[in-house]
Amino acid sequence: MDDIFVAVTGINASDNPAPGIGVARSLKEYTSLNFKIAGLAYDAMEPGIYMDWLIDKSFLIPYPAAGYKAIIERILYIKHTFGLDVIIPTLDSELPFYIKSRRELELHGIKTFLPSDEQFRLRSKEYITSIAAQSGLQAPKQAVVTSYKELVTAVQEIGLPVIVKGTLYKAYRAYSIEEAMSYFSKIVAEWGYPVIVQQAVNGEEINVIGVGDGAGNLSGRVAVKKMSVTELGKIWTGVTIHHPKLLEATQQFVATSRWQGAFEMECIVEQDKVYLIEINPRFPAWVYFATGVGVNLPVMLLKLALGENVESAEEYEAGKLYIRYTNEQICDMANFQNLVTRGES
Amino acid sequence: MNTNNRIARLAINEEGFVFDPQTGESFTVNQTGKVILKALMRSDSEESIILQLTEQFALSPQEAQADVRDFIHHLRAYQLIY
Amino acid sequence: MTNNKKPYVKPTIIKLQSGLMNKFGVSPYYARKVRSNIDGVSIEELTKQFGSPLFVFSEKTIRNTIREAKEAFATRYPNVTFSWSYKTNYIDAINAIYHQEGSIAEVVSEMEYDKARKLGISGENIIFNGPHKSIPALKKAVQEGAKIHIDHFDEIDDLETVAAELNKEIPVAIRLNLDSGIQPQWSRFGFNLESGQALDAVRRINMGGKLRLNGLHCHIGTFILEPNAYKTQTEKMVKFAYELEDMLGISIEYFDIGGGFPSKSKLKGTYLPPDVSVPPIDNYAEKISQGLFNALKPGHFPKLYLETGRGLIDEAGYLITTVFASKRLPDGRKSYVLDAGVNLLFTATWYKFTIETDREMQGLGEPALLNGPLCMNIDILDEGSMLPPMKRGTRLILSPVGAYNVTQWMQFIEYRPAVVLINENQVEIIREKEDLSDILRRERLPKRLRLA
Repeated sequence: MDDIFVAVTGINASDNPAPGIGVARSLKEYTSLNFKIAGLAYDAMEPGIYMDWLIDKSFLIPYPAAGYKAIIERILYIKHTFGLDVIIPTLDSELPFYIKSRRELELHGIKTFLPSDEQFRLRSKEYITSIAAQSGLQAPKQAVVTSYKELVTAVQEIGLPVIVKGTLYKAYRAYSIEEAMSYFSKIVAEWGYPVIVQQAVNGEEINVIGVGDGAGNLSGRVAVKKMSVTELGKIWTGVTIHHPKLLEATQQFVATSRWQGAFEMECIVEQDKVYLIEINPRFPAWVYFATGVGVNLPVMLLKLALGENVESAEEYEAGKLYIRYTNEQICDMANFQNLVTRGES
Repeated sequence: MNTNNRIARLAINEEGFVFDPQTGESFTVNQTGKVILKALMRSDSEESIILQLTEQFALSPQEAQADVRDFIHHLRAYQLIY
Repeated sequence: MTNNKKPYVKPTIIKLQSGLMNKFGVSPYYARKVRSNIDGVSIEELTKQFGSPLFVFSEKTIRNTIREAKEAFATRYPNVTFSWSYKTNYIDAINAIYHQEGSIAEVVSEMEYDKARKLGISGENIIFNGPHKSIPALKKAVQEGAKIHIDHFDEIDDLETVAAELNKEIPVAIRLNLDSGIQPQWSRFGFNLESGQALDAVRRINMGGKLRLNGLHCHIGTFILEPNAYKTQTEKMVKFAYELEDMLGISIEYFDIGGGFPSKSKLKGTYLPPDVSVPPIDNYAEKISQGLFNALKPGHFPKLYLETGRGLIDEAGYLITTVFASKRLPDGRKSYVLDAGVNLLFTATWYKFTIETDREMQGLGEPALLNGPLCMNIDILDEGSMLPPMKRGTRLILSPVGAYNVTQWMQFIEYRPAVVLINENQVEIIREKEDLSDILRRERLPKRLRLA
């Protein structure tokens, strides 16, 4: 069986984990294929570098801000020295680059499976209302604002409390105009304009993750309820659920948008109303949860990237628990030294 | 050269990885930096280091002098020598 | 020096800090960008002949960029004219290239107006914008048939005075400001559309009976990364024109939608690099033509003017500068003193330039500052980049610097350098290096103060 070389980003499995390790673990557990996994890291201290049972070799890569040429050069270096058939980027800030460069990567024999530029823009928080309507879901009232004046008007129209969000990162709940203004300035300072003000919907937060094949078919999906989260808002424990309306809406979302690649839908369920809060065009950090209940989404994505047929996943069981835990690892400095001096393990 | 034992206890590997076992700090140096650092650890004088560089590498004494001075200023900034 | 010695690389030591342990980092030097020549002329040859610092413009890039932009619009809308934005770069040779490529002139002051006329541009091929047009300047522009775009109510009064004096009706346009969905909204220039101020201005012009409104102008901002804003803008402008037609019987013959297209320069504070974040000109052309076709009546194709400046010239300009000295700062960073600073690159305040060297550099990158020659703390061209150790005399090539630098540069304690233009391996001076006579020419020393 030939080795398949896969590069995965986001291997910083820290207290604010990225999805890379969940993806790598899902691939390694699929024993019908032989995966060789390159971990792409932005810092020599990312824990994934030291998890040699999941990551075969690690490489430091330039930040997305370093520019197109620098990143392509590094990726081609990895292709030549290690081998590279598929790249699975898992961080929001990387996606514009990979979406834009998919054709060039393909020319070098490196495959990706990502939403189109159009899909990527449409799922952005500004357009959530129209996606919700197409999928048969409700959307919270929201406004895109770029000034204090607009913020105040938006908060008055939407009603308190509101969620104040950046377009890529960060979301805060504000109970007063003053609070909303302070979050607004915080987000603008860190991530720039615009800022989204959203109605704070009450109810149970539910997440669905899945993979669309780009032709309107949903290859697999799993819905979960987070039972507890950390101080940073990251899942600590969770449980699988079956919410018929939500799963139907997921199907519809993929069918109408012909979504290609991984996605995570964040919803809030209030009795029979399901509000769509956000769509992320990638796996979440807890993607291994799906694999653990029999829906190996990363392997589906990988097969789709390689142009193979993927049969729709079998139904998973509701009521399976997810428990995250911490672990420690002791190792000597060799790997660290290599990363620092050579840029690879 | 006035070195203290902070610099003498540094561990340097072939590839220029430098580790201070007492403070836990790590550094990287390039080949030339390594030559100067090792000479300083032996308490070689600045003049002798300049000579070592001009003997080993293709450069003028003037450039060697400027670079050794700059490197020592850098070590001072990191408080590796006083 | 004998040949059996090892090649020398300057010594570096770098402390490892969590979050910064990436030798590739964000440094533009990961790729170690080398530029040995500009359009085939070596950096060495350029500096040998013209000195350092030196501004270099590529005629090929200028012509290719304007041709591409014209193509992007001409294939989508039948009636488009580009108007070269003088303030972006008004060296005669640069202006002449754009005029040769079919652009008319867009000026924002009497000085720029005079410069365009001196170059041989006729009045009717000049768009006269800006908030400060003196009565003599207006009079000259009216007599020569320039397109005058009114910025404020006082200018309406002034133009009526001129009309009365010359006893002629003056065709005019007004500048609008409007909400195109982007921030910041430029509301300082022109008349606001949404508040009704623009309509008031038109009524005022109508009432006076001396001016005839035939154009609408609007310029929504600078470095606009959202092409959709232009669609909103053009739709609003066309709708307003039809409202004026219905309400007051005014016929708008042209729309000037301003400029603001970004160049591939890296705006400070943005995360994504310009080659990922800056949309191609085709996206702007597409949105603008969509906006026009959505709002225009079928078969109606009024003239469209574009005043694109930065997007056309920025990438054609380079500044060659030389490492004059270096020092180690108390915090461990390296500081390089260059022979060019913010005196020549005013836009360094907002943009992070691409840094290239004229040869391959060896050694680890270390945190460094690029300082200019001014005796001022603010003279910083770049900070926080990881640069390899560079020796005195190393040439750096900064780009893109074609927009706003050779107009906003200042003559402060140094002579401004030469500006050259490369055309098919030929290098021509288009602005000479200054000398003391340039500075003394306008000074007058009273006799009683003469020292010798």
